[in-house]
Amino acid sequence: MSNSSLSASGAAKAAPDIPARPVLKRRSKRFKAALPYLLVAPAVLYLMLITLYPGVYAIIQSFHEVKFGPWRPIGFGNYEKLLTDYQFWGALWNTLVIGSISLVVQCVLALALAFYAYRDPWVKGWRIIFLVPMLFMPSAVAFIYKLFFLDGRVFADLLMKLGLVDGNIAFQSSTWMSRGILILADVWQWTPFLFIIFVAGLQGQDEEVEEAARLDGASWYAIFWNISLPMMKPIIAVALILRAIDITTMFTNVFIITKGGPAFGTETISYFIYRTGFKFFNFGYASAASVVMLIITILVAQLVVKRAFLPPRS
Amino acid sequence: MTSQRKKAKGESLTLRYLILGGWALFCLAPVLWFLSIGLRPRTEIITAQPIYFPSFSLDAWHMIWEDWPMAAYLRNSIAAIIGSVIIDLVLAIPAAYSLSRFSYKGRDDIGFYILSTRMMAPAIVAVPIFFLFRNFGLLDTIWALMLIYAAINLSFVTWIIRSYMLDIPKELEDAAKTDGAGEIRILWEIIIPAVLPGIITASVIAMIFAINEFLFTLLIASTPDAYTMSVALSNFTGGSDGVIYNAIALVAFLAFVPVFLVVVAIQKHLSRGLTMGALKG
Repeated sequence: MSNSSLSASGAAKAAPDIPARPVLKRRSKRFKAALPYLLVAPAVLYLMLITLYPGVYAIIQSFHEVKFGPWRPIGFGNYEKLLTDYQFWGALWNTLVIGSISLVVQCVLALALAFYAYRDPWVKGWRIIFLVPMLFMPSAVAFIYKLFFLDGRVFADLLMKLGLVDGNIAFQSSTWMSRGILILADVWQWTPFLFIIFVAGLQGQDEEVEEAARLDGASWYAIFWNISLPMMKPIIAVALILRAIDITTMFTNVFIITKGGPAFGTETISYFIYRTGFKFFNFGYASAASVVMLIITILVAQLVVKRAFLPPRS
Repeated sequence: MTSQRKKAKGESLTLRYLILGGWALFCLAPVLWFLSIGLRPRTEIITAQPIYFPSFSLDAWHMIWEDWPMAAYLRNSIAAIIGSVIIDLVLAIPAAYSLSRFSYKGRDDIGFYILSTRMMAPAIVAVPIFFLFRNFGLLDTIWALMLIYAAINLSFVTWIIRSYMLDIPKELEDAAKTDGAGEIRILWEIIIPAVLPGIITASVIAMIFAINEFLFTLLIASTPDAYTMSVALSNFTGGSDGVIYNAIALVAFLAFVPVFLVVVAIQKHLSRGLTMGALKG
């Protein structure tokens, strides 16, 4: 089957000028049925190599102690250790706290900005500059904030000039201020992502409904709250999911700005896995944490994401 | 129509421009400040008192080319990115064609599987991928970077192109079919030209993500043979003197300018691309 299919498509490609009718006739029904699978197969196989293979590998590795020497099977040892590892739970908690605050802040900001910007033809001309933060390399952005708050002490100095604080601020030693820097860097860089999607969503809405409401004397916030927002729901869901994925996998900023400190207060789950695996070379343990994260990811994907991206067909 | 839409009832224009202008400033100020870091001598960066009006210097410019293998970083970035986009397009175009123009058992599940790989945290697969590349002797090569960037981007490249393909009217295809054209020929001669904007959008977004990629590059690259700009930045340290911020700032701008120009060019398609095609622009 596959032999005939290959030669058939090969012939069609090699001689595009010859009418393809005879080739078509020689094709079997089975080939026709298999074609869509054949077309999608290379991509699926490639993705399996980087998801399924690592998944299985991580599961097997997670039941071993893997340091420098040979793998030593230890059953559920790694998982038992995870259950009581306050650093692992702390990392989960930090990811959740930093991620959800950051997500809520940038969503609200982006919605408000999009609402103000979308109907303004003048702003349309220069709103590309709202995208600038998003187009900066994330590792460079991390250094901007590291210099501004920590190494260069510029922020503290500015506050001092305004008379708000007396001396230097030790951001590094405060968990919440360190988290705040991570949140600010994320909000600064990625609010534009939501902004541009929301603007497009608002522009795509049915103008007549809005116009009718306006003529009925509805105020702008009533229109926004009762008409625009409900219409935008599917778009908001998709945008927030994409953003949530990236936030929960936050690594670069932690790696460059805080290194997880102080006292693991800003260590995200990605950084925890990196540190366990590639700093302490405790690969089995890192794999166990990966497997737990994998299970959470699959659950969230099946329960939440599937609904947003594959709306039920009518 | 547009003039009516300019202002909603009860909305203040002053407030609107105050908010938007304030946000524009918030977006630009850190970038401009960082540019000033890139154009000042190193002695004026980390000081007892921050210096707001530094002297101008091209130290960093000379440093990145003379003291660091900047040309190699640039070459690695470009090679890995272009290679990964080519792999993506070769795999994604047939896959998107299959997902959008055919109807068969399991199609939606396959499509969702492809999408769901986007949700995988890089850190989750980092350990196994590291060993996989080590076993194949690919550590510290741009081939490994190419393969991994392609894998990261494949899901949304497929979904973006799929979304554009869904928009092509069925009649166009039917007309070609009655002329006797096979599916592959239809893909090549009708579908691909029709979704060219989608292909370009997907490629641009894939390039940006590839430039930005950090964790895998950090694990894979260990010498200038494979360092890309993104990770090379974090290596700009002068030992005990600390981080060389002016070099970092300058390299960041070097990477930023082309990205910005390309994005301006595809501006119209950006929102659709960023939502993986969920939002029709």
